[in-house]
Amino acid sequence: MAETVTYGAFFLLSAVVLISALAVVLLRNVLHSALALIATFFAVAGIYVLLEAEFLAAVQVLIYVGAVAVLMLFAIMLTQRIVDRGARVTNEQVLLAALVALALFAAVLAPVAWNAAWNVSQEPVIPEAIRELGLQLVTTYALPFEVAAVLLLVALVGAIIMARET
Amino acid sequence: MDFVVPTVDLGSIAPALLVLATALLVLVGELFTAPGRKGALAVLALLGVAGAMAKSFLLWGQSQAAFSGMVALDNYGLFFGLIFLIALGMTVLLSVRYLGQMDMDHGEYYVLLLLAVFGMMLMASGTDLIVIFLGLEILSLALYVLAGFARTDLGAQEAALKYFLLGAFSSGFLLYGAALTYAATGTTNLARIVSFLAQAGVAGNPLLWIAVGLLIVGFGFKVATVPFQMWVPDVYQGAPTPVTAFMSVGAKAAGFAGFLRVFLYAFPALSVDWTWLLAALAVLTMTLGNVVAIAQGDIKRMLAYSSIAHAGYLLVAMASNSQAGVSAVLFYMVAYAFTNLGAFAVVVYLARQGQEALELSDYAGLGSRAPLVALAMTIFMVSLAGVPPTAGFVAKFYLFGAAVEAGLVWLAVVSVLNSVISAYYYLRLIVIMYMREPVPEAAPASTAPLVSVSLAIAATATLLLGLFPSALLALAQSTVGAIFKI
Repeated sequence: MAETVTYGAFFLLSAVVLISALAVVLLRNVLHSALALIATFFAVAGIYVLLEAEFLAAVQVLIYVGAVAVLMLFAIMLTQRIVDRGARVTNEQVLLAALVALALFAAVLAPVAWNAAWNVSQEPVIPEAIRELGLQLVTTYALPFEVAAVLLLVALVGAIIMARET
Repeated sequence: MDFVVPTVDLGSIAPALLVLATALLVLVGELFTAPGRKGALAVLALLGVAGAMAKSFLLWGQSQAAFSGMVALDNYGLFFGLIFLIALGMTVLLSVRYLGQMDMDHGEYYVLLLLAVFGMMLMASGTDLIVIFLGLEILSLALYVLAGFARTDLGAQEAALKYFLLGAFSSGFLLYGAALTYAATGTTNLARIVSFLAQAGVAGNPLLWIAVGLLIVGFGFKVATVPFQMWVPDVYQGAPTPVTAFMSVGAKAAGFAGFLRVFLYAFPALSVDWTWLLAALAVLTMTLGNVVAIAQGDIKRMLAYSSIAHAGYLLVAMASNSQAGVSAVLFYMVAYAFTNLGAFAVVVYLARQGQEALELSDYAGLGSRAPLVALAMTIFMVSLAGVPPTAGFVAKFYLFGAAVEAGLVWLAVVSVLNSVISAYYYLRLIVIMYMREPVPEAAPASTAPLVSVSLAIAATATLLLGLFPSALLALAQSTVGAIFKI
């Protein structure tokens, strides 16, 4: 029973991801695209929950929906006359782009199709995954954690330079 | 609570930390310097470079892993660190007058240069895919902004946007490759990838092949190999000239530092699969770079295609997958750094207020107008073409020697043929400088003491490395222990 529910939820969420992602690319109004992107992010968060990665799901909602998407909406709202103007969503390279996208998709799908040797951990899911993640971040991964702060600093300085009045 | 405080060994990444600290100091110092007096920040940046260089020499010869295996302190990382510091120091020397001329004298310029070098050093000493990726992103973000630092210039905007979009796209490939590597091996740590592959074998695991393919695409974008080179000419042309110089040396060296360590150290088990791929990429990259460079009338575009060709030569050494190959890459990187920085220094030297000497015809008669500068440019062009007695010749000699040693004779032959093609456009500039009459309206360039200093350093180093290469080669050879555990 529980398995049926899980499968049902998975297919439902996957359908939402696929349809809303297509909408992001194909809709002509950039505001609608941004809203569809939010739906995509939420559905991906749902898939993370199904995979028992609650922390990742929370991060997905907080950062992608809460920050990235909202920032995009701000940018769209603050740009004059972009909302009511329908954008061309394709250009003369559409066929080539579709081919490249398909090839990449095939490359990504190939390991699944060939039944690749995924390195699956035999250990059960840790009950206190978030606590363990936090510990790892300040012990084993302390250096990347700190370096990420420098990355943010670079982004901040760069954004200010790009946005300042000349 | 089972919380074990990890050992923090800041000393093992001291040069990078010195650069980071200098960047922060310059960032704060920017607040206290009046507009037009940002040269003081350049001095501060140079002091940081000198400090980090001194520290690198003090650490030379040490070999240890630090921060739970995230980075390694070894000669390999230190050697690349010194290349980045040389590029940074020379770029700062080139920038002081140029920034004033082009009306963009802001302290953040030096901050971004320093932070980019911090990223490069992490990339070169990182032994975990996460650290290598973070280092790459730090340097890339800084370079995107630097490429568009001339905010009002349309070409600079195009360069920045193009570089940003394609760079972000290529980072995606690299990240996906790292993720698939994790999926296949259960770790992002290079040492543990090695032991996993040694234990589990690689036969019939398509995950790893695709991971390696995606990593090649990601690194290929960063070091500008064909077919991932299309951003290079526009970005090199549009970016401020000192930034172009810095990019063409620093970013390329950093890309190869990560590329070499990941492939030669972590994936030797798959080398049968990637060496022929890299050899094919090398041929394409050299040939396209050299052939298209012939048709360029803009010196920055010509040097851009030339830098693509040089990435091809470096791939030749990588494809030979040997100790000689690694030390040849390191030697080549130093020779290329001095030569290319010198060539760009000449372009910067000839810049006037708000205007640059970018057309090849601007160099007509330089031999009589500014004989010393023309002589320096001649040395650089001869070195880029690989003619003795310059650093470029010795570097190519070691490079092709490594290929022959590895049994890739055909690849060495193609490389030599390519060097011959490249001689055409390098020597053409010399002909223009000495054999053509100067254009009448060409005003004499204003004096530029700092640029002259960097020109002198680059020309001297190019000649000295060509005449006495053994000391540097010995240094380069002492780094291979990091890649091939003996």
